Amino acid sequence: MSAAFLAALRAALPELRLITDPAETERYRHDMTEYAHPGSPLGVAFARSTDDVATIVRLAAAHRVPLVPRGAGSGVSGGALAVDGALTLSLEEMTEILEIDVANLVVRCRPGIINAELGRRVAEHGLFYPPDPASYEYCSIGGNLAENSGGLRCVKYGVTRDYVLGLEVVLADGSVIRTGGKTVKDVMGYDLTGLFVGSEGTLGVITEATLRLIPAPQPKLTLIAFFPSVRAAGAAVAAIFRAGIIPCTLELMDRETNRAVEAAIGVGLDLDAAAMLMVESDAGGAGAVRELDAAEAACTEAGASSVLRSADAKEADWLREARRKAHWALEQGGVARMEDVGVPRSRVPDLLEALEEVAASHGIRIGVFGHAGDGNLHPCFVMERDDPHAEERVERARADLFRHVLRLGGTISGEHGTGTVKKGYLEAQRGPDAIRTMRALKAALDPLGILNPGKLLP
Amino acid sequence: MTSAPAAPATGAAFLAALRDALPTLRLLTDPAETEPHRWDETEYMRPGIPLGVAFPASTAEVVTIVRLAGAHGVPLVPRGAGTGLSGGAIAADGALTLVLTGLDAIHAIDAENQLVRCGPGVLNAELGRRVAEHGLFYPPDPSSYEISTIGGNLAENAGGLRCVKYGVTRDYVLDLEVVLADGAVIRTGGATVKDVMGYDLTSLFVGSEGTLGIITEATLRLLPLPPPKLTLLAFFDSLTAAGEAVAEVARRGIIPVTLELIDAFTLKAVEAVLKLGLDPDAAAMLMIESDAGGEAAAAELDAAEAACRATGATSVLRAADATEADWLREARRRAHWALEQAGVARTDDIGVPRSAIPAIIAEIGEIGARHGVRIGVFGHAGDGNLHPSFIMDRDDPDAEERLEAVRAEIYRAVLRLGGTIAGEHGTGVPKRKWLAEQRGPAAVAVMHAIKAALDPQGILNPGKLLP
Repeated sequence: MSAAFLAALRAALPELRLITDPAETERYRHDMTEYAHPGSPLGVAFARSTDDVATIVRLAAAHRVPLVPRGAGSGVSGGALAVDGALTLSLEEMTEILEIDVANLVVRCRPGIINAELGRRVAEHGLFYPPDPASYEYCSIGGNLAENSGGLRCVKYGVTRDYVLGLEVVLADGSVIRTGGKTVKDVMGYDLTGLFVGSEGTLGVITEATLRLIPAPQPKLTLIAFFPSVRAAGAAVAAIFRAGIIPCTLELMDRETNRAVEAAIGVGLDLDAAAMLMVESDAGGAGAVRELDAAEAACTEAGASSVLRSADAKEADWLREARRKAHWALEQGGVARMEDVGVPRSRVPDLLEALEEVAASHGIRIGVFGHAGDGNLHPCFVMERDDPHAEERVERARADLFRHVLRLGGTISGEHGTGTVKKGYLEAQRGPDAIRTMRALKAALDPLGILNPGKLLP
Repeated sequence: MTSAPAAPATGAAFLAALRDALPTLRLLTDPAETEPHRWDETEYMRPGIPLGVAFPASTAEVVTIVRLAGAHGVPLVPRGAGTGLSGGAIAADGALTLVLTGLDAIHAIDAENQLVRCGPGVLNAELGRRVAEHGLFYPPDPSSYEISTIGGNLAENAGGLRCVKYGVTRDYVLDLEVVLADGAVIRTGGATVKDVMGYDLTSLFVGSEGTLGIITEATLRLLPLPPPKLTLLAFFDSLTAAGEAVAEVARRGIIPVTLELIDAFTLKAVEAVLKLGLDPDAAAMLMIESDAGGEAAAAELDAAEAACRATGATSVLRAADATEADWLREARRRAHWALEQAGVARTDDIGVPRSAIPAIIAEIGEIGARHGVRIGVFGHAGDGNLHPSFIMDRDDPDAEERLEAVRAEIYRAVLRLGGTIAGEHGTGVPKRKWLAEQRGPAAVAVMHAIKAALDPQGILNPGKLLP
């Protein structure tokens, strides 16, 4: 069956780059999820056009061979992991920018383009694509769409979904649809755009996107503040919002993370502080100064032990480096399995305290950093590389963490996706009837179940 | 997909079961009493004769009604305040209309997390006033905000005048409680801004016009209350110049809170009845507002004024204070009402990419002239969403037919320019036959598959949205 499929594929698309040698396909089996267990793919195909994708999907359906769509493989929830006997469909060669429409503040592009490359290209026109997952230098727009990625600017600018006006999608039967166009408002029929964004390749394969842009903001001003307790840091976050400020970045790092960053790159962080906040404004000129003045006052009032402000863009870059290197720094101490949970902003201190409890009761080092401004945090479980029980221990600690998150009214995944690593928790969060609804949608759009099986749904 | 209307015997059995299960439910069946609940604001449509009208007071009552409706095969028409402009809430023959205005509680205003949790029956303006007491702001503001419900706004994914800066209803919804077609109750999200567990059911239900489930509660995101607005009016001697000004404003990196356009026909109608002192010879007027506050607002309007002058504005008026701003805003707010003074005015709702505004307005003018239909155009130039309004003599017997032809030509022009046939008023009844032309048959097939998956009996708002 699978040999017949590959033969049919080669016959239909003789130019298609298709690799089947396990030595070659190996690097397309994994994404960046620690402790994931990918299957052995039938092969990896590199589509170059929507027509290629449509042909591949049609043949896969005819031969009942599952497909795993894949971007740059930088995901951290296992969404792009290879599946036994499935063809991995790489979209990394579909990188064109089809149009930058300056008058309408819109870009139309293929899914394979790297987020940062898209950002650079639209910046040449004075425009700005806000969603910036930490992986922006190497993740693709297609992956961002599949996961509904977030990033550091979400507190002010929202998530990927908020910038998608329309998609071209190849459905499970090989037909091609468009879900929207260049207009910001469009209420004809159901919002299929919203359904496909974040569906992790399980409902269709995105082959083109029309994205909304905004005028490029002013250069950022940056502030970092250190606090003697996580409660004080939480109080500062609340005070900043009470002051009516929406900073473009409001990040948090805990003591464990600060120490790891300091050990790795030595930027001069306060190692005794229980938490650090990074606050940025892109309001420009006097507006930015005013925003950071108010943020500084909020931090001081909440009990900050010290506050540093960048004098210029270069110094701001230097401060930002501390946050940017957080995960990497924690990885210098072992395997750093990154989590991605969200709670209502006011519950961030509760979550941090719960994490201390989880760390103590499981005897695991946990470094926490993340987006305090929107309540989305990334606790990292740091495990010895040679600990043979690391995976089980992490699993038990995660289960504990997720219980706390739901108790605090939060979400088990904020921006990294459900994938393989969280599908087991979907029902605990959404309830059985919502899962039934999701399954009904999956069955309606992919009745043969050939699109990214084993992902997202339990 | 449309289910056949329930036979009279079925209807009677259903009503009896309903009275039995919910003895305190307010339930109207007398045609004289149900009459006001048959219509929405699309007075030209022909609603069906409902089996009755029920006013549930809780999610539990909605669940019971939906379960019994499913068991008896009786369709349901969910309804808010009935202010819709696409027929989404009009009665269907033999269906029970479900009025949700009783679910109007504001359950919680969470100032710290900038959220509000409320029932679907609360009025948009009431919600706005209540959150303003906490220094907070709910941006979506359809023109009907004083009389439309949040539930209706959610069902239609309503827009408004502030969308160019703040986005549409969907952008503010974090979580919904939804009663499904089988009576099960789900929640689609939570109190967090980022949430990627499973499929985005929130987006699917917003804008689904009551055809996939009944929204019984919503958690909405709020913003800090912005400072008072500054207002500017600019007049142009050609639509092209006004369109250029809109593009130039965007090019200069300005995102005003409001960027509205009024064409010559509408301007004359407004001036005729309100006598505000507007330039009656202008081909178009733009209204631009900033809520950036203080000097920043003044700077924004300075930049907008410069953009208007650079593209050929013949005159620019700026409000000196809030009272004067209100007075200027009156011109735009009364546009539809002013057109109605000239005859029956039917408002349409289309969207084009911003740069195509001059082209679509020119085409609309030509189409109107060719068919002898007067058309005023106003709307949200900043996001390309326009409301052509057709003015007909009250006693014109062929009006309906000519209008049909005009609408068809306008919609085709809109699609040719890469636009949408419905920007913010919904698909409802009059536009569903256009769905396939805009989205293509494969996309419509997907929508039908979704409808069948979520409402296999087809009891939820039959005959709406889908062709």
